[in-house]
Amino acid sequence: MGRIVGIDLGTTNSLVAYTDAETGQPKCVPGPYGDTLCPSVVSLDPDGSIIVGEPARRRLLTQPERTIYSVKRLMGRGPADVQSELKLFPFRIDSASKNVIRVLLGNRVFTPPEISAFILRELKNWAEALFGETVDRAVITVPAYFNDAQRLATKDAGKIAGLEVLRLVNEPTAAALAYGLHEKQRGRVAVYDLGGGTFDISVLKLISTTAGDIFQVLSTNGDTHLGGDDIDNLVQSHIQQDIMDCYGVDITQRPELVQELRKALIAVKHRLSENEEAILRFPLPNGAVYGTGFTRAAFEEWIRPVVERTMGPVKQALADAHLKPADLDEVVLVGGTTRTPLIRRTVQEFFDRKPHIELNPDEVVALGAAVQANILDHGVENMLLLDVTPLSLGIETYGGAVAKIIPRNSTIPASAQELYTTGVDNQTGIDIHVLQGERELAKDCRSLARFTLRVPPAPAGLPRIEVKFLIDANGILQVGAKDLRTGEQHSIEVQPSYGINESEIERMLEESIEYAEQDFAERQVIEARTESESILTATAKALTNPQAAGLSAEQRAKIDASVARLQESVAGRDYKLIRKRIDDLNHATEHLAELLMNSAVSTALEGRRLAEV
Amino acid sequence: MTSPSTATNPPLVCWSCHERTFGTHFCSSCGKLLQLPQALDYFALFEMPRKLCIEMSELEQKFLQLSWKLHPDNFVNATEQERELSLKHSSELNDAYRALRDPVGRVEYLLGIEGARKEGEHKQQAPPELLEEVFELNESLDELREAKASGGDLAVLKTRLESAEKNFQDKLGQVDAQLRVTAREWDATLQGDPATRKKIMAQLNELLNRRSYIRNLVTNVQKELL
Repeated sequence: MGRIVGIDLGTTNSLVAYTDAETGQPKCVPGPYGDTLCPSVVSLDPDGSIIVGEPARRRLLTQPERTIYSVKRLMGRGPADVQSELKLFPFRIDSASKNVIRVLLGNRVFTPPEISAFILRELKNWAEALFGETVDRAVITVPAYFNDAQRLATKDAGKIAGLEVLRLVNEPTAAALAYGLHEKQRGRVAVYDLGGGTFDISVLKLISTTAGDIFQVLSTNGDTHLGGDDIDNLVQSHIQQDIMDCYGVDITQRPELVQELRKALIAVKHRLSENEEAILRFPLPNGAVYGTGFTRAAFEEWIRPVVERTMGPVKQALADAHLKPADLDEVVLVGGTTRTPLIRRTVQEFFDRKPHIELNPDEVVALGAAVQANILDHGVENMLLLDVTPLSLGIETYGGAVAKIIPRNSTIPASAQELYTTGVDNQTGIDIHVLQGERELAKDCRSLARFTLRVPPAPAGLPRIEVKFLIDANGILQVGAKDLRTGEQHSIEVQPSYGINESEIERMLEESIEYAEQDFAERQVIEARTESESILTATAKALTNPQAAGLSAEQRAKIDASVARLQESVAGRDYKLIRKRIDDLNHATEHLAELLMNSAVSTALEGRRLAEV
Repeated sequence: MTSPSTATNPPLVCWSCHERTFGTHFCSSCGKLLQLPQALDYFALFEMPRKLCIEMSELEQKFLQLSWKLHPDNFVNATEQERELSLKHSSELNDAYRALRDPVGRVEYLLGIEGARKEGEHKQQAPPELLEEVFELNESLDELREAKASGGDLAVLKTRLESAEKNFQDKLGQVDAQLRVTAREWDATLQGDPATRKKIMAQLNELLNRRSYIRNLVTNVQKELL
């Protein structure tokens, strides 16, 4: 058996972590660029290979139609569900998509689990490169408020990536595990987790028993479509409108400009977490430069609606746990978006206590996943996690109403039995519709599955079929039926309403292995070479520009030397060396890049690489 | 909810070691998880008598102890059959804890296994002594809906409904108090004569029906007042 890892499959970034055998502490695995964060971006190269992470993120600007980000928003959803997302995200959905969404990258179609699987496989590669061993099992985290379909889609992604998914763990719970190990906290803890695309709030009770520590989730709530992305969208639509008003330029027609602006605005958002003011300068295609200043106060006014949307779920989770804000002993902030000062203040005021931010909010979920992976690998020794189902499970009854059979916040695994019989003589089937959600009418809840219970012909009312609905420890539904007259067990093939079936998963797994056959290191070399080619071309071209005369002899010599060293490294196969020399050349050409741009534009492009200009 | 299966003889031979076994969850001989169902009702699962007044901390302790042993996290590397059994045992444990932890759910469950839970024949029908108040309430609700549709003045109607809601909340409190009293009577006659026990169960059943009727009313009013 290979190694086991914990994976945080995030909307914006994904990470992989493991438990260090010597220290017993969880650690994140660094990628080829030394960073532990792998941008959740996937790009299909024109040569047919798949590119994941940082190099794919750069392609958002150059090849937006072949590149996808935030695919987590599409997981487990049907084409009809995502119409509102499509206005704000440049997802290109194949018009032939029926139940399952199929996304276009270039001219090929992929399901969201396939795209997520590319990210998982990349992380698997990172870990294997570090361990020098195969990784074949994983704990993957999901938003606590993910429904059955979204969880299934995540599990499918794991399978397609060639991983046995030992457990899906809720992200806030994972964070609590990481903190529990770190701080040995006790009592009642609220975890506020605002990531790139999802929001969760979980209330836990940490109990010390003679056997060990129990992390019992009391309640959870959230919104699977609320996160940093929404802040970015909000600010972006303001600015796009402003550009339209001031310059008459509609940049929404230009996907690469939309991405360019998005990137610039995210940088502004990050600067405003540290500073009181930030300036945006954005060159427009007509040669003008759009410029505007932001104060933190004004920015906070804009994003306040997003922050306020998180407070409804927070209050509901507390009410479900029968607690008041003052009853909490600790509050923990998780997710990159909680770096926003307004969010920290809002949470602190609500709970009237200073939230914990000691652990890196980007890494803490992956670290917790690694803790759980270690528990599962070695058996429950001194820590046990008791999680809950976020949404009530129900079945449709007469008139389209829903009868709740497992209430939300039930500890999982949880089950419920229902007894069915026939209404007319010799009826051979009973239709069952399973739903998830809190609303009273079936049409307002999430449809999980529809199936027909087969019944042997008999007089009406005589058959007695007991159907057992079971939510497993991953929060995923299983259904079984038993004929009470004969004692015969039926297995029920539940085809999820928005899922992909087993044979499709098999095919995707095979295809994904084909993609993966190109050896990891080999691909790194190819990517590094491609990148060096583009920077060498850009440098050569820039040096022919009259502005280049402004370089000092020393600067010019440094560029020439860096070019020569990069060319020399490209001949070899050491991709880390190539990367380093690319960085060196980027560094050496900084002044050249500045010279090439007029002073107004250069401010906006500060810190950018020559190849991107 | 359906009534749980009635008692049958527990299996005496372990599926794994084929020895005679006396365990509740685990084989007394080889220590493997045993087959379910074992004709184990929720009270028996927690090794508690069928009493309605339960010491919550004791229930929680037992729940946590059993969770340590039965949770699927313990069986990730076990055989398929054991994983399956752990899923059944731990879901049963969680279902049991969920039912017994809630005072009303506990009564409901007890009546179910005693075969004494009968939902009113006409669930929607008001208990006779509430008829008049319910009639008034429904009238006010109709008026509020009309006023909402026509954009009329809502303030007076809302105040009236709020006081009606409070009235029914009080009644709910009264039913709960009666439930507690009757629950103690039940506990006192645990070993008593069957006729008395039957009478108490009928009372409990009646109180549950009343409670669910009033609870529905309150929910409906709250929805309109939102």
